Amino acid sequence: MRTEKLELVCPAGTPAALRAAVDAGADTIYCGFRDATNARNFPGLNFSREEMGEGINYAKRHEAHVLVALNTYPEAGNPEPWHQAVLDAADLGAHALIMADVGLLDFASKHRPDTRRHLSVQASASNPDAIAYYQDRFDIKRVVLPRVLTVPEIAKLNAQINVETEVFVFGGLCVMAEGRCSLSSYATGQSPNMNGVCSPASHVRYEDKGNKLVSKLGEFTINQFRQSEAAGYPTLCKGRFVTQDKPSYLFEDPTSLNAAEFLPDLMDAGVTALKIEGRQRGKAYIAQVVAAFRKAADAAARGEPVPPLGLETITEGQRETTGAYNKRWQ
Amino acid sequence: MSHSLKGPVAPLSPVLLAGMAIRPLPYGLIQPLFNKAIAQMHQQHPDVFDRLIPLGSPRFLIDPIDLPFSFIMDTRPTAPSLTLLDKQEDERTQNIQASIRGPLLLLIELLEGRIDGDALFFSRDLVVEGDTEAVLGLRNAVDGADINVHTDLLHIFGPLARPVDGAAQLAGRLFNRFSKDLNTLSKATLAPLQRKCDAQAASLAEMEDTITALKKQLRRRSGKSA
Repeated sequence: MRTEKLELVCPAGTPAALRAAVDAGADTIYCGFRDATNARNFPGLNFSREEMGEGINYAKRHEAHVLVALNTYPEAGNPEPWHQAVLDAADLGAHALIMADVGLLDFASKHRPDTRRHLSVQASASNPDAIAYYQDRFDIKRVVLPRVLTVPEIAKLNAQINVETEVFVFGGLCVMAEGRCSLSSYATGQSPNMNGVCSPASHVRYEDKGNKLVSKLGEFTINQFRQSEAAGYPTLCKGRFVTQDKPSYLFEDPTSLNAAEFLPDLMDAGVTALKIEGRQRGKAYIAQVVAAFRKAADAAARGEPVPPLGLETITEGQRETTGAYNKRWQ
Repeated sequence: MSHSLKGPVAPLSPVLLAGMAIRPLPYGLIQPLFNKAIAQMHQQHPDVFDRLIPLGSPRFLIDPIDLPFSFIMDTRPTAPSLTLLDKQEDERTQNIQASIRGPLLLLIELLEGRIDGDALFFSRDLVVEGDTEAVLGLRNAVDGADINVHTDLLHIFGPLARPVDGAAQLAGRLFNRFSKDLNTLSKATLAPLQRKCDAQAASLAEMEDTITALKKQLRRRSGKSA
């Protein structure tokens, strides 16, 4: 069924970014606590319990919702921090909890049944059977779809499932089966799924060699940027590897997703919500991207063409892609 | 002989010229101003320093590339400091965990959260070295703090804040006008060079295409003969 108005789900890594997102027109903001219970466990980022409560109240005063991401997998033998995070987020008034782990979904459905549960992209659920399982067992209300589906595939999926779908439309791309990537873990011993960090900053080094900028992750040199070349994030999937004597990007180029042109198609495909990536980005990024997508979503809702967003300069590698939405590969 | 420049290049701006003008001043004369500035920042935004405690309250080298001096910023909440360092001095002796280099105005915009640090990094306007975790911690801490350099610094002047504010606003307008003039001058000076560079870039791109095509041919031939 066609969606009349897309919900804009926006990131916030700090209370200031949350306010910036709300002020720029976000319908919903997603954020996390300052620990390993969420997949953006970066230094200086995220919310204390007090800040989360204030953020939720600020959003409510402006008729916006806050979703709390608890999307990492609890450490074996130590589920308490994750359980406590479920209880605290729900009691602070979160509109929904975003989770991937079946144990945590089960805990949340038993202990805070009235708080909505969304299935995180980290669960990598991309077919009707998997989504129906999560709905039957844990009564999830929404699934965040992995960034591997074309628009026709999303439309087909929506016709076969009974929960809302949320799709990424802007920001960093994760090329692997999400929640199952071990590249960061291999290089640093820490992963987004368990520790909440992909390529943790503590293992990243940049060296300015004059004519080139060298980025290293742990023991690995993962890229070298010429002086005039735009740089990217220091993740292994976006590293440049030498094959046949030629350095090139094998997994993925440093580039950002921008699916603004597909908004009308996503409405036709029955998508409920649009997700903007970037809890690790500054409030200036949040304000700019949210304002641009607010205009785009409103234009699409009026049946007008989506206006140019002008976000090229803030994208990774200063390049954009439509990703899998316009898949031209097998 | 070619000489590769390290880090971003200082733009031709009023900041660069002002830096040259104040270069002869003894640092002892202007250091008290920065002592007050950091004390004020600590008083107004203690969260910034608190958020850095888990990272061991790192020391940073902040290098505004268009000024003749850098700053050593000590983030210990008990004794925060912002100390001038002449660029002739060896920064390696300063026991810093990380360095951040960029044009002064961009650094101020970053401090105030008016510009995205990742975007500056992607565009190479900002260069960071050393402990990336410390840099990220500082970026996230200041981004969350709603700092306004102008308003925060006015507190230093106490009862004189109002006339200082008026003077600062006038200086700001003059700065913007001068900035535009310098930009026009810079474009006019560089236009012939830019045209030459564009022509060379086009010629290089053509040569790269030819080399790629030749390599393909070579691979096909060696594949057939194998």
